[in-house]
Amino acid sequence: MKILVIEDEIKTAKFLKRGLNEAGFVVDVASDGLQGLHLAREVDFDLLILDVMLPGLDGWGVLTRLRESGRRSLVLLLTARDAVHERVRGLELGADDYLVKPFAFSELLARIRSLLRRGPARPQEVIRMADLEIDLLRQRATRNGHRLDLTSKEFLLLTLLARRAGEVLSRTLIAEAVWDMNFDSDTNVVDVNVRRLRAKVDEPFPMKLIRTVRGAGYVMECEQ
Amino acid sequence: MSWSASNSVARIGRWSKTLAFRLTAGYAISGLLTVFFATAGLYLVLVTELERSTDLFLADKLNVLRTMLRERPNDLDALREEVELESAARRYEQFYIRLLDEKGTPLMETPGMAEQLDMPQSMAQPRARFDHAAAMGGRQGRPFRVISAAVPVGSPPEKSDIIQIAVDVSQKEELLARYRHWFAAIMLGTLAVFPVAGYQIARRGIRPVEEMATTARHISSSNLHERILPEGYPFELASLADTFNKMLDRLEDSFERISRFSADIAHDLRTPVNNIRGEAEVALARARTIEEYRDVLESCLEESVRLSDLIGDLLFLARAESPLTLLHRARIDVGELLSSIRDYYEASAAEGGVSLTASTGGGPVIAELDRQLIQRAVGNLVGNALAHTPPGGKVVLGANTEDSVIRIEVSDTGVGIPPDALPKVFDRFYRVDTSRSHASGGTGLGLAIVQSIMTLHKGHAEIASQLGQGTRVILHIPVSR
Repeated sequence: MKILVIEDEIKTAKFLKRGLNEAGFVVDVASDGLQGLHLAREVDFDLLILDVMLPGLDGWGVLTRLRESGRRSLVLLLTARDAVHERVRGLELGADDYLVKPFAFSELLARIRSLLRRGPARPQEVIRMADLEIDLLRQRATRNGHRLDLTSKEFLLLTLLARRAGEVLSRTLIAEAVWDMNFDSDTNVVDVNVRRLRAKVDEPFPMKLIRTVRGAGYVMECEQ
Repeated sequence: MSWSASNSVARIGRWSKTLAFRLTAGYAISGLLTVFFATAGLYLVLVTELERSTDLFLADKLNVLRTMLRERPNDLDALREEVELESAARRYEQFYIRLLDEKGTPLMETPGMAEQLDMPQSMAQPRARFDHAAAMGGRQGRPFRVISAAVPVGSPPEKSDIIQIAVDVSQKEELLARYRHWFAAIMLGTLAVFPVAGYQIARRGIRPVEEMATTARHISSSNLHERILPEGYPFELASLADTFNKMLDRLEDSFERISRFSADIAHDLRTPVNNIRGEAEVALARARTIEEYRDVLESCLEESVRLSDLIGDLLFLARAESPLTLLHRARIDVGELLSSIRDYYEASAAEGGVSLTASTGGGPVIAELDRQLIQRAVGNLVGNALAHTPPGGKVVLGANTEDSVIRIEVSDTGVGIPPDALPKVFDRFYRVDTSRSHASGGTGLGLAIVQSIMTLHKGHAEIASQLGQGTRVILHIPVSR
């Protein structure tokens, strides 16, 4: 998977390149709009990460000209301005997603992955992770054959973590996905819920599945 | 040339729009009209009165002659004296009398009458009304007033003669002409004096306004504390000055709030930045273990998240204040919204030993509201309530509709808020307990956000609290329908 990062802020470009490389992507970087547009036309990238404020040619211009040239690469816009009309403008010009600075890298990664695997999600009936088994149809979870006694929200939370195993999920994302709370209030509410889930899912078993990533959120993965 | 002409036209045009000009014009025009009508009225009265006195004189003379002709028709000497001599002795207001018989043949007349007057034949015809006087021009251009009447001769009357009397009114005409000259002179004087006087009055009236304007002009953000002294102004202007001062009070207050807000932002940004900087600096000062590096990086990440949250909240507040902000209203069930919030906070409440319940009292409460914003407002309130309620306490969410106003209530049995802090809790960055709030997280903007969400919904937040008893916040949201 090839990604082009068009970003003039050197530090941002640097951490994006490193982070995305480590996540398994091939990354090219362009530091202004014209160079970026040139590269994007020449090379077939799967995805463009495009900053809106750019020297030379701004993000809107790059996006417009890219679409005019017929390239259908996915485009994720990055901007420091969080105004609804900007978001709408970006999407109208043919951007596929939109992220406001400052953003969590885990959030960016999650968006990129979901953009790249867009398309009909294959319906899953059972999710397995080490000795954890989640039966989505019957709303039941077991570990090592033992039934876990979960509330409906705890079941949702566990499913979310398991579905996106390996991805760090921010507290905001979790609150939104599980409780439909679209704001960051006390994010320690999420911590309390995860702690309670862990007490049921991890504590009785030797292998711990849910890991805290300090400052970022939670991730489900097999240790070892 | 043409430029300077058009320039001066423009200047006059501008001046004609000034208050001084309008007042001056008003004073001058009303003054001129008053003087004009008064003088003209007096002139008309004078004309009438002069005419009347002439007519009375004529009637008087006529009466004397009539009496003589009736009582002593044959005393021609007396008659002649009356007709020829009496008038001849006069210098001013000369009058002439002519006596004619029935056929119009002159019998007797004041000498010189024929030279002065050409009384037409028609005037010789007997008239029914003897007191009918008329104006007539003389042969030498002198103005006259004439009367003519048929009078019976003898007693009992044998025949009737005709008497014609004319009086020279040139003196009176001259008097009127002089009056007219004076009239014109007075009008000219008025024309000269009134605009000047009017301008002076207008200037005097406007001067306080100009003084006020001068004061207002040099008030800027750096000396917002200056005020217009309300003394020495007439009542109406004093109230204007007072209004102006009150506006300045409000401006100064908002200005202070804004600068305090900026200072607070700077402070609240400085703390996490300082932590990041310090930790990174210390960490880099010497070689450390991987674990130590990890710890520092994680801490930096936490601080950055704190910064991001703060920026997010500030942006939210800034956006909420923009008049362009639109609400995404949709039909929502408030009861359902409250229970979803309860679900979210349930675990936290249980952890803190606090019971959290939600109910909508009577029937369902359904309204068109911005779900995300109301969720955020109530969420902030619940978060606060849980943070300040000790174990064993209660937090209750409720909602009801009354007179097309939705009331959402969050009450707790927590520590309460001191009365002097109560009015300030909705202010940005205001923290009741400055020492502990930082540790408990939050940006200090939670209630300010609640307030601005209410403002967006054209509602308001009401807070009541008693120390040691608990706090109750009620959101009043009008529903348009």
